[in-house]
Amino acid sequence: MAGAIAGRLTVNQRHNVETLVVLQPIAVDTGSPDREGMLVLANGMLVAVLVQLMAPEHRNPGYWFLESGFGSLRDLKPPAFETLEEAKRWLRQRLNTRDAV
Amino acid sequence: MQDALVRKLESYEVLSEQERRALSALTPHVRQVPARTDLIREGDPPELVHLILEGFACRYKILPDGQRQIMAFFVPGDFCDLNVFILDAMDHSIGTISACRVADIPRNAIDHITENHPRITRAFWWCTLVDEAVLREWLVNLGGRQADQRIAHLICELLTRLEAVGYASDNSFAFPFKQIDLADCMGLSDVHVNRTLRDLRKRGLIALKQRILTIHDSARLKEYCNFTPNYLHLKNARWSDRRTSPWLARSQGG
Repeated sequence: MAGAIAGRLTVNQRHNVETLVVLQPIAVDTGSPDREGMLVLANGMLVAVLVQLMAPEHRNPGYWFLESGFGSLRDLKPPAFETLEEAKRWLRQRLNTRDAV
Repeated sequence: MQDALVRKLESYEVLSEQERRALSALTPHVRQVPARTDLIREGDPPELVHLILEGFACRYKILPDGQRQIMAFFVPGDFCDLNVFILDAMDHSIGTISACRVADIPRNAIDHITENHPRITRAFWWCTLVDEAVLREWLVNLGGRQADQRIAHLICELLTRLEAVGYASDNSFAFPFKQIDLADCMGLSDVHVNRTLRDLRKRGLIALKQRILTIHDSARLKEYCNFTPNYLHLKNARWSDRRTSPWLARSQGG
């Protein structure tokens, strides 16, 4: 039942539904060597773009940076994530927290 | 000792020897403050006016989620709020960026100056006016300029302000800021600041070595971010010729 309704609701309206976070590789032009990226889809909608920090000048090269967020993730500046799993955990938690408000 | 202050005030007003002596009397209490130390915190009752004699400091607020927003950088010769003692409680915090030499000025010393030295008082007004103008320019920066232009603009501003007080030479100046300091004043992430500084270096506009920033091509950097120093109202800016004050000359018999 919930699944049938979900299609007509926004990510934020899906109370009681565990947010499904899916990553899709994408190249991103950041004007720097940081160009390996991931589109972040939450329940099928684009909510963020993650980019791996590759420039050696970064404080934590190899980490994943929230390059851009949409909807409830807009303008957030979390510290870069060590792994994609960590990024997904944070994203899921943020999206679920927002749902509960 | 307070050369930076005298130099700054003299970029607004010509001061007499007597007025310079009166300014010396403002700074008997000078202390050394380590880097990354608060001079006063939000909520504290302000008792003193802080004057930065050496080093860099900032005005900031901490948001409920821990995010810091920097609203101003202070360089040598800057008061951290000339009239702050009027407030019951601070609505923001002031902390050092680098190690600083700070003069703590009691309110009655400021009162004494304003009651007895109209020209210094007017130079103080200039300080407050320019602080507000810088804040306005930062608003424009945040709302109207792209990330890399914002940082370039700040670098141009720092150069101009530091040159005015004798703390920059050959387009070089001390740059103790961490990337997160720039990020917190520009509404950016430290990653964006990192990329921008890298890009400015790559283009040969700036160099940053051992915490000294050098601007290789200040004309190009200024053009790149549309930097116009008019808002700093320094003598070397184009408005200085218009700054005449017959009423003040008359009131002082000059």
